[in-house]
Amino acid sequence: MSLAQLRAAPLGAWTRFREHHSRALATVLTTAVIAYVAWKIFQSPSQALQFAFNGLPVGAVYALLAMGFTLVYSTVWFFDLYYGAAAALGAYGVFYLRSQDFLGGRYDVNNHFVNIAFALVVAGVVAWALHVNFHSRLRTRLSPTALRAVGGAPSLAIGVYMWLVLANPNQLNAMLSPVIGALVAAVAFWLLHRGYGRLADNSRPISVLALAPPAAALGSYCGFLVAATPDANLYLSWGVSCVLAGAVSLALYRGLYVYMRLRAKSPLIMLVASLGILLAITAITTIIFRAAPRPLPEAFGSDVWTVAGANIKGFNVFAIGVAMAGFAGLLLLLKKTAFGTAVRAIGDDEEVSKVVGINTTVVIAVVFFIGAIFAALAGILSGHDTAIQPRMGLLLLLKGWIASVIGGIGNLHGAIIGGFALGMIEQFGIWDLAGEWKDVISFVVLIVFLSFWPQGLLPRR
Amino acid sequence: MALSSHAISNLVRRTRDFTERPRFAKGNVELWANLLIISWAAAFMLWQGVGFAITVSTVFAIWAILAVSLNLVVGYTGLLSVGHIGFFGIGAYAMAILSSDASYEQLRTEAIPTFGWPFFAALPISVVLAGLVAVVVGVAFNRFRDDIYVLVSFGFAVIAFNLFLNWRPLTRGAFGIHEIARPEIGGWTLSGPFEFLVLALVFLGIVVLISWFIVTSSFGRVLRAIREDEQAIEVFGYQTAHYKLAIWVISAMMAGLAGALFGSWTSFIDPNSFVLLESILLVSIVILGGLATIWGSILGAMAFVMLEEGMRFLPFLPPEFIGQARQVVLGILLVLLMLFRPQGLVGRFRL
Repeated sequence: MSLAQLRAAPLGAWTRFREHHSRALATVLTTAVIAYVAWKIFQSPSQALQFAFNGLPVGAVYALLAMGFTLVYSTVWFFDLYYGAAAALGAYGVFYLRSQDFLGGRYDVNNHFVNIAFALVVAGVVAWALHVNFHSRLRTRLSPTALRAVGGAPSLAIGVYMWLVLANPNQLNAMLSPVIGALVAAVAFWLLHRGYGRLADNSRPISVLALAPPAAALGSYCGFLVAATPDANLYLSWGVSCVLAGAVSLALYRGLYVYMRLRAKSPLIMLVASLGILLAITAITTIIFRAAPRPLPEAFGSDVWTVAGANIKGFNVFAIGVAMAGFAGLLLLLKKTAFGTAVRAIGDDEEVSKVVGINTTVVIAVVFFIGAIFAALAGILSGHDTAIQPRMGLLLLLKGWIASVIGGIGNLHGAIIGGFALGMIEQFGIWDLAGEWKDVISFVVLIVFLSFWPQGLLPRR
Repeated sequence: MALSSHAISNLVRRTRDFTERPRFAKGNVELWANLLIISWAAAFMLWQGVGFAITVSTVFAIWAILAVSLNLVVGYTGLLSVGHIGFFGIGAYAMAILSSDASYEQLRTEAIPTFGWPFFAALPISVVLAGLVAVVVGVAFNRFRDDIYVLVSFGFAVIAFNLFLNWRPLTRGAFGIHEIARPEIGGWTLSGPFEFLVLALVFLGIVVLISWFIVTSSFGRVLRAIREDEQAIEVFGYQTAHYKLAIWVISAMMAGLAGALFGSWTSFIDPNSFVLLESILLVSIVILGGLATIWGSILGAMAFVMLEEGMRFLPFLPPEFIGQARQVVLGILLVLLMLFRPQGLVGRFRL
């Protein structure tokens, strides 16, 4: 058969050339990029700084996406495309919760079906969390009916509460103030307890009664403060929509991925299934909000700072700060806590982690929750920076994916570096081209990286 | 590489696609899928009349050419490409630029090069152009697989869409290109919709014939072996890169053909027909219909077109949401298929 003997064609020559000279080619490419940037800086330093200031906030959004993406990927080893939908859901959650207030309620879309759907999702997730945490402990002590009541009542209550919150978005501050007060009180109590344990004699534990009143006072003061400031609504809606995106992610994980991962032979099955989810969620978002781009209400930091002739908005500095804080928090979580150890163990070998007693389902669920929150934050930040539209999810997902490939898949440091690098490359790339070639630039960068540095800048160790 | 005889015999066994145990009506999903979709299509056409049937069948023929061509890459070779709409667009734009009416085009605001060629002169050039682009893209993509292949093929679709949208001196961007030539055979213009439908079906037949020839030949068997275990087939001395490149180019040329037909049929194209989403829909058609069967792709395209037309008659659905509702249904179908039937309705390969 002659077709079977196709040999010695230019394709092989190109492959051999690339394999043998990839380091030289990479050096040439890097030098060219650095020379281009240096030339640009030499031409006009203030304009170069301006482009850097444009690139950093975009890079912060990509870095957030890449960090969450890489966290999820390096734990379960498949690409979860729901991630893009989470970014869009985050941004549209803010839009949904603020639509009664801003622009005179022109875009008011608050709708009972949506509220009840999300309340059901949250109630289900809470019920599952209670089941996972308490079922095995209480099973021997309580009758099945009592167990159902113990699990069902709080989740029902939280679902109803969520429904009330979503149905009254212009009183978010009043609705959420008890939760915020309780959270602040809990954190304050924990800090006091830890601090006392560190400072004083450990052999005589302090009474709860001594620490509870100040913590409760602080919590209730914060709750009243939030309830008295209607301006906090926007920032509270950030939190709510992040939690909602995370809850949907948890529901998908528990309702779908758990079963699928048992059956699937290849990661492509999971990828195609999550592609279906992305398609469906994008379409539902379009049905509710229409396809046209929408603005998000003005957040703080709309004033412009001027540094050495270049302008940057206060909100963009905030976005960079969020990316940095997210990185620091995730790093602490992964390196310093038992949970982080469990995550890394599951990433290395899921079966063995199960054998040594890690509850992999719960740990992976938390990883999905954190990943979705990162995505939602990225969606919100980019939505405040530009506008939002339902198909932003897919593009943000792809950018996050590219950034994590550039940085080195599965490496957190690589993710943040890759995100900022991608943002800067895009901005410096459109200096001489027009702005509409941004997406082309990032994908060309991706293909170049995959051809010459398939491991990324910082390979996973 | 150590390769046991067990591995080799396993590979040989798996390159023969599985057939399901023949069952009677109850558990036979293939039979029911065929019956349901075909009878649905037939009933709709009878109900709605000839004009509707001709339009829908033309849309179906174009989607079917695309789906069959993509199945060669996704189903038979195992490369999950999500960027096929790019080749469709290249074919359509080549047809548009080569054959649109020069005198009409120059009246418009932005002048672009137009040639005013007849359809059958522009068609081979469009197909070859799609093939040439596919050679370049394929050489760059050949080393990737699995997830990364999905990502870079997304990238190809995005790059192609941005070229159509932003390369204004050639494509006139969002304004699109008008007055694309209708096919003409020896002075007889196929201007009516029925004549065009016949032409599209003839091209579909040709594409199916070529695909059938490919997948039943030894070439097709090597492709299936690449899908199952690329390293093992390399050990036998096959240059898998060449095979992958060859099927990629053939498939891209078929997609270019579909694009040329599409441009001529609508006689107006703009970049919105070639967005990334259409590409994802195309992949879901292929997976829905069935991987590694030609008939599955045809059935998938039929189901896809019929899904949209069926939704037109749902009383509670406003007409502007039909596309979105179809997308929701397709998304849920993809999830269900991946859970319960990873080979698609009539497929021969489980993803």
